[in-house]
Amino acid sequence: MAGTSSVLEDNSVLSRLDRALVPVEWFFALISGIAVFSLMFLAVWSVMGRKFFGSPLMGYVDYIEAAMPLIAIMGVSYVQRTGGHIRMDMLVGALSGRAKWLFELISILLILVLIIALIWGSWAHFDRSFDCARPLCSRDSSIDIGIPIWPSKLIVPMAFSVLALRLVLQAWGYARALVLGLENPVAVPLILTVAEQAKIEADALGDD
Amino acid sequence: MDPITIGLWTTAGMLVMVVLGMRVAFAAGLAGFAGLFWLRWNGFDYDPARIGKALEISVKIAGQVPHSKVSSQALSLIPTFILIGYLAFYARLTTALFEAAKRWVAWVPGGLAVSTVFATAGFAAVSGASVATAAVFARIAIPEMLKVGYNKQFAAGVVAAGGTLASLIPPSAILVIYAIIVEQDVGKLLLAGFVPGAFSAVVYAMLIIGIAVVFKNVGPPVTGFTWRERFAALPPALPIVAVVVIIIFFVYNPFGDAWGTPTEGGAVGAFIVFLMALYRGMRLSQLKEALIETAKLTVMIFTIIWGVLIYVRFLGFAELPSAFSDWITSLEMAPMLILICILLAYAVLGMFMDAIGMLLLTLPVVYPAVMALNGGEMVSAADSAFGMSGPMCAIWFGILVVKMAEFCLITPPIGLNCFVVAGVRDDLTVQDVFKGVTPFFMADAVTIALLVAFPGIVLWLPSLAG
Amino acid sequence: AATEWNVSVWGKRRAFTEHVEKLAELVSEKTDGEFTMNISYGGLSKNRENLDGISIGAFEMAQFCAGYHPDKNRVITVLELPFLGVENLQQEVAVSNAVYAHPAAVDEMAQWNAKLLMTSPMPQYNIVGTGTPRDELAEFDGMRVRATGGIGEAFELVGAVPTSVTSAEAYQAMESGVVDTVAFAQHAHLSFGTINQADWWTANLNPGTVNCPIVVNIDAYESLSDSEREALDSSVPEAIDHYLANYGELLKRWDEVLAEKEVEKVMLSEDAIAAFRETAAGPIRSAWIADMESQGLPGQELYDLVEQTLADAKASGS
Ligand code: NA
Ligand code: NA
Repeated sequence: MAGTSSVLEDNSVLSRLDRALVPVEWFFALISGIAVFSLMFLAVWSVMGRKFFGSPLMGYVDYIEAAMPLIAIMGVSYVQRTGGHIRMDMLVGALSGRAKWLFELISILLILVLIIALIWGSWAHFDRSFDCARPLCSRDSSIDIGIPIWPSKLIVPMAFSVLALRLVLQAWGYARALVLGLENPVAVPLILTVAEQAKIEADALGDD
Repeated sequence: MDPITIGLWTTAGMLVMVVLGMRVAFAAGLAGFAGLFWLRWNGFDYDPARIGKALEISVKIAGQVPHSKVSSQALSLIPTFILIGYLAFYARLTTALFEAAKRWVAWVPGGLAVSTVFATAGFAAVSGASVATAAVFARIAIPEMLKVGYNKQFAAGVVAAGGTLASLIPPSAILVIYAIIVEQDVGKLLLAGFVPGAFSAVVYAMLIIGIAVVFKNVGPPVTGFTWRERFAALPPALPIVAVVVIIIFFVYNPFGDAWGTPTEGGAVGAFIVFLMALYRGMRLSQLKEALIETAKLTVMIFTIIWGVLIYVRFLGFAELPSAFSDWITSLEMAPMLILICILLAYAVLGMFMDAIGMLLLTLPVVYPAVMALNGGEMVSAADSAFGMSGPMCAIWFGILVVKMAEFCLITPPIGLNCFVVAGVRDDLTVQDVFKGVTPFFMADAVTIALLVAFPGIVLWLPSLAG
Repeated sequence: AATEWNVSVWGKRRAFTEHVEKLAELVSEKTDGEFTMNISYGGLSKNRENLDGISIGAFEMAQFCAGYHPDKNRVITVLELPFLGVENLQQEVAVSNAVYAHPAAVDEMAQWNAKLLMTSPMPQYNIVGTGTPRDELAEFDGMRVRATGGIGEAFELVGAVPTSVTSAEAYQAMESGVVDTVAFAQHAHLSFGTINQADWWTANLNPGTVNCPIVVNIDAYESLSDSEREALDSSVPEAIDHYLANYGELLKRWDEVLAEKEVEKVMLSEDAIAAFRETAAGPIRSAWIADMESQGLPGQELYDLVEQTLADAKASGS
């Protein structure tokens, strides 16, 4: 389950960069939430139109497909910042001190390799669908109403670029902890025990 | 080197990364990307001059997957189902449900516990996520049970177990994920979850009544509600019924004139709950909170989806799934015995892994094998090993693995629902909850055995749908 | 060394993929197993991204349909214009081959590093529906029909509402009442199960069809040895013949299928069809030609090529 955790802060450059990136990540996550919300209205519109006004929403599926990357990928860095992506932390959680930071650092660097590759690959995917010598710059269009697909494809390298920045900061944070032998480093998600995680999960739906 | 060997080594590498604590989504994505590269360069006979080309091709194949795989209408159900759960909380549907269940059924032995099970089952009909359900009811139901003298371990166990119902009773994020991976009809799968979900709830309720009759000190009945009070408790819980009706109408048209697809049904359900939350005074800040929380959970799930699908794309090139199913079907064992071994393997795996991660990682290889075991995708019921057609087997196996995944939420050592319940209540330790939930996971084991032995429980409703 | 090609198609093995299966068999035979094809049904790519996969070099051969993404393959969408007047699969093969050989088509596909190898000829689409048969044009008004590309546009012009669902969701959409009717070729009505849901099928509406070529990656094609390339090229006509024979069998069985499923065969009057063609064919064709010409593509020339080839094919008796 979501291993939500806490990120410590101080006045170091690293921590300030960490906090500077948060508003961008939060904004991306909010866009994702708003897109889910819009999907809801889109469906209501589509059903009402078809059921009661005899005029179904043309291209309903095309709109959903275009919105999905927004919903599914925009917030990827926001979740990475707090360590929210699922993992098995039984082993790394049992480690302490430098051994732990070494494991975390290696893991972040490996993720960074993947994300850099995916920025390249997803950009190429976008680039194949984009050609400004054509109407609407479109070299790939949706199946029903023929809307250009490139804007939706562009979201992926965009979100991954923010994630790459986040990973660089986290790698820096772990490397610093490793070198200085820190106990509670800033700018990286600190592992919580499963119980602490669950507590946060439980508190997420606070009393209204 | 042959592709299958590369596939096996890459898979082993991925598992090592997962065990060492790398985020599952990225471990799978990296394994997939590395595997694609290895496979390609192997195809180039490790010619140093062509390493760049091999890298470029594998980067581009992997880079297609996130956009390509998330741009799916069927997957749009997942965020909608998650949103419904958060909105339902602000619509105070949870409290209303528990109150109604209490007034109607708390008079039986172990009454409040039975009420809790029915209230979680009711909430399951709007919520797609088990953990959230357990968290919500730990707040609402446990204090009430303690007030009338329930054993606190037992009370905690009831809530942890009741929470698991959310992933079988539609809507269910995990059933949608299963449907996507195995390319089966989402609507039918959701429909298929209904009876086993309700069945599980009834098994829980009977278990509670039995325990309450045998051990008098577990929990007294709560009586004294007038019929007037009972009926007065219903209207606040009604939106749940409305949402359930809508989803049923959208999934299957009982009166021959249905309203739309499951995707639309989920979204319209969310809309109704949203209106309800507005009516109950949800503030803008709360809406924003609900949207951010929805986004977080959605992104988390989708990151695993695209990460694992990069690995699956690699598997496609490495032909590993077909090799595995060839191997499974060549075993000199009864198909049913193999199936039971697979389910047991899930039980073990589930002790250490998250449910969604577990299904996404294993299904691409295991599902084709199970289908092959039954006699193929298109086999007729008469020619099959399990006595059901290919599409029906896909549904049946889906319900079984989802039930397994839910079972894992309440088994030690990392049954997350138990941790959630303990986390909400300061007076409970995790050991308390695990102790309290023990009868329920034994009940679940019985339920799973019954679903295996009598597939009809799963299949009669979807088979009515044609 | 042995050559192994990955081939990306989708769905299940069916009449629509028989030429690919046959091609793989023939090529392997002719090269004594030196050149083999590994056909993957959906494991290598999403069907709408097969052209991307060819362009990347992810696999060497693939099938796709023009209507999935008109902007990727503007030229060959000429073959999806409504009411071209194609009467059978042989004629469909003839017009496809003519367009595939046109420099504009070759050039546009070359931008994807793709070479058009052969078509997957399909009979004219026809609609299945539930309830009372719609056998007059006026009854198409407000009808929610699952149809893509030019066929969808044609239905729109006579008052119907093309409604978006993927082919895989067509059955569900029909069952749940999202659409009243679904337009497919016969094999797709069978493989996507829409025929099981139907009360009637239009036998002679014939509004058009979709065009789904098989393409190969140019680099892979050029790096074949002479004997391998010869084996591939020479197998194409045989593969197409096999496809036509196989589809012919399916069409022969079609009437039995209709009877077995108790689906009524609906014939529209000549007048109704003429009125449909009148309303849809001209305007859509003109709009298509204007759109292509404005993008610097020879729209008129392509359309004329189709007309001419079709007339020749009919004259020569196919
Ligand atoms: Na549910
Ligand atoms: Na577990």
